[in-house]
Formats: sequence, C-alpha cells, structure tokens
Amino acid sequence: MGYDDISEELTNYIDTVKEDVVTGKISLLELELNPIFNELKESLNVYNIFNYSQTYEKACDLLSLKFEELKNLLNHLDNDEIFMQFLKSKPNDIEIEQILGNCWREVFHLKSISPEFMIYSNRRFSKDRLFIEKIEHVRKEQTGGSFLLEIPRQKFTEKMMDFYNLIKNKLPCKFDELFDEIQDQMEVYEYFVYILHLLQIGLLKYQKTTTIIYE
Amino acid sequence: MNEISILMHLLSRRVGLYEFGATEDELLRYLNIKGKNKHVYLKQLIIDLSNYIEPLGYHIKFNPLNFYWYLSINSEISDLFKTNPFEGHPSLAATLFCTLACCLKNEGYTQIQEIIKLRKKKNLSEDLKELSKKGYLLIDHNNNEIRLTPLIGYQLDLNQLFMNLALKKSETSSKN
Repeated sequence: MGYDDISEELTNYIDTVKEDVVTGKISLLELELNPIFNELKESLNVYNIFNYSQTYEKACDLLSLKFEELKNLLNHLDNDEIFMQFLKSKPNDIEIEQILGNCWREVFHLKSISPEFMIYSNRRFSKDRLFIEKIEHVRKEQTGGSFLLEIPRQKFTEKMMDFYNLIKNKLPCKFDELFDEIQDQMEVYEYFVYILHLLQIGLLKYQKTTTIIYE
Repeated sequence: MNEISILMHLLSRRVGLYEFGATEDELLRYLNIKGKNKHVYLKQLIIDLSNYIEPLGYHIKFNPLNFYWYLSINSEISDLFKTNPFEGHPSLAATLFCTLACCLKNEGYTQIQEIIKLRKKKNLSEDLKELSKKGYLLIDHNNNEIRLTPLIGYQLDLNQLFMNLALKKSETSSKN
C-alpha cells in the first residue's frame, strides 16, 4: 500500500514563494496560504509525519512573514494622509476609478416589509419573557372504597372548650408548659390555634414579658 | 416571530433617503434586549445571523459615517449586478474620491474650493451636481460647502479602499 508524500514538493514551493517575496515579484498579502496548509493536512499520515515536520515549520515561517507584512500595511493606514499621498502621485481619472473598483457593494433593502409589520412585531416581542410553571395533573389515589370528606366528630368550639377545661387547672403557667406532654406535632398546631382563639375571646390572657398564660 | 426575523427586517429597511438599517440603540430597543450584557448579546446575535446568511451571499456591515448596521450583498454577487455606479465615468469617480479625501479631513464637510484645488480643474459644478443627484453629497451654495451623506458609507467599502491605497503605496515604495 502506497502513501502520498508531497512534503518535498511543498517545501520546494514554499522556498520558491519566499524567494519571490524577497525579490519583490509577489506580495504575500495577495497570496493565499490556505492551499499549502490544506495540502499538508490532507496528505499527512502516521507514515510520513517525520518528513512533514520540516515542511510544516517552513509553512509557519511563511505565515509569520505574512503577518509581518500585514502589520506593516496596517501601520501605513493613516486614513486622512493615505488619500493625499495617493493623490500626490498624480493619478489620472482611470487610475482613481480603478482604486475604487472592487470597493463598491450593494445594500440589501427589503421594500416589501411594511412599517406596520415592525410595529406589530415590536408589540408582540417587547414583552418580558415569562417562565410559566408547568402544573402537574394530580393523580387520583386508590382509596379502596368510596371517598368521603372527613368531618370532625366534634365542632371546633367544643374541641376548644375541652382543651380549655384540660389546661384550666395548670394556670397560671408558662406558655411552653402547656405543650410539655404533647409529642405529636399536629396536636401542637391544633392546641396552638385553640389558645389563639381563647386569647381572642378573653378566656385566656398572656403576659408578653414573662410569657405566662393566665385566666 | 423571533429575534432573527426582526433583526433581518431592521437591517434591511430604508429609514431615510440615504439611510438603511438600524443603530445599535434601535436594535436593542426593538429586540427588547436589556441588562448589563445587552451589547455582548446583540453582537453575538449579529455574528450568528451573519454566519447564517453568509452562504446566501449576504453580509452584515457597519456604516462608520452614521453608525448604522445594515445588510449588504457580498462583493462577488455585487459584481454580477455591476454595482459600480461610476463604470464608464472615471471623471465622476475621481471627483468623488477627492471630495471623500477632503471631507474625511474635516469631519464630513469641505469647501468646494478645496476639491477644485485637489482635482486641479477649473470647474467642477457639473460633477458635483451629478454626485448630488446620485445622493452622495449635499451642496450648500450659500457657504460654498459640500457635505457627505451617509450613502457613500453604505455603498463604498471604506476598509477595502484604505487597504487598496495602502497596497498601492507599498507597491510604489518597493518600485522606488
């Protein structure tokens, strides 16, 4: 199986280009270096990599030379002066037309889209983006029978008064002590609500500074 | 409707006799881009759109004379359509070039006398009238002044022109 090795060919080409640049036959700024690097890339493989390293180095030298030329060119770009310097060389009208030659370009202008479209799209678009929460549909749990709304056996007031009778003998006492024997968190919430209501209707009183509940 | 379609419209619209496209502020406002990174976001959007439309033969360009972003057709396609407005009229092209040279020195305007001096011609009134008719400049007869319109910034690639002039200069220097 044969493998292409064009490293020598490329090296020779790069040497010729360098010579032409030095003698002023060509300007590197007008020469495309992409084909050299593309050919290097396409013909490179594990079998010829040793021969290619020198070619690659030479191609990179050429590239840095091109950067140097570009740098020099950019240093010459003093916008106001550059026009005058060109005119000082007394160019004729045709030469001036030629210098402008490849600089003309066409503006892309859409006449068909109306300003109404712009206003319409502006109205539609100029809104803050909202991230809408996705609402998950609730799954129906199997209850194993007909579902009934749970109704407490006692009315709220009855339950509250039962609680009041229970704690009445402890009073006066610290607010925390009313919950000392209760382990279930749900019961704590329930009794706390009763206390709030009892405070509201005046059966209980609370001293903020000492946190004492009394009748 | 998305950012790209609105951006395409803004960049390709005609806003005045010599103005196309939109300023950066207008783009930000119409696209409702806010926040401290708004300029970065807009630039990215412009780059993305530019890459996307490049295979179709379009470019997004910036007019340094009026700071407008706009859409232009690439040079290969422009050549097909013969976009050079002075083809066969070198005298007019030369007068425009001299006007450009004078105006760039003076922030966009110049005295007619200065152009005449540079052009080394006795009378330029016909050329200037024709250039004004084409929309490249405005003539102030009272003050004998010429002012460039933004149109030249759209139709003429100034970077390319500077590059051509610099190349010409380096070519002349190497010959000497």
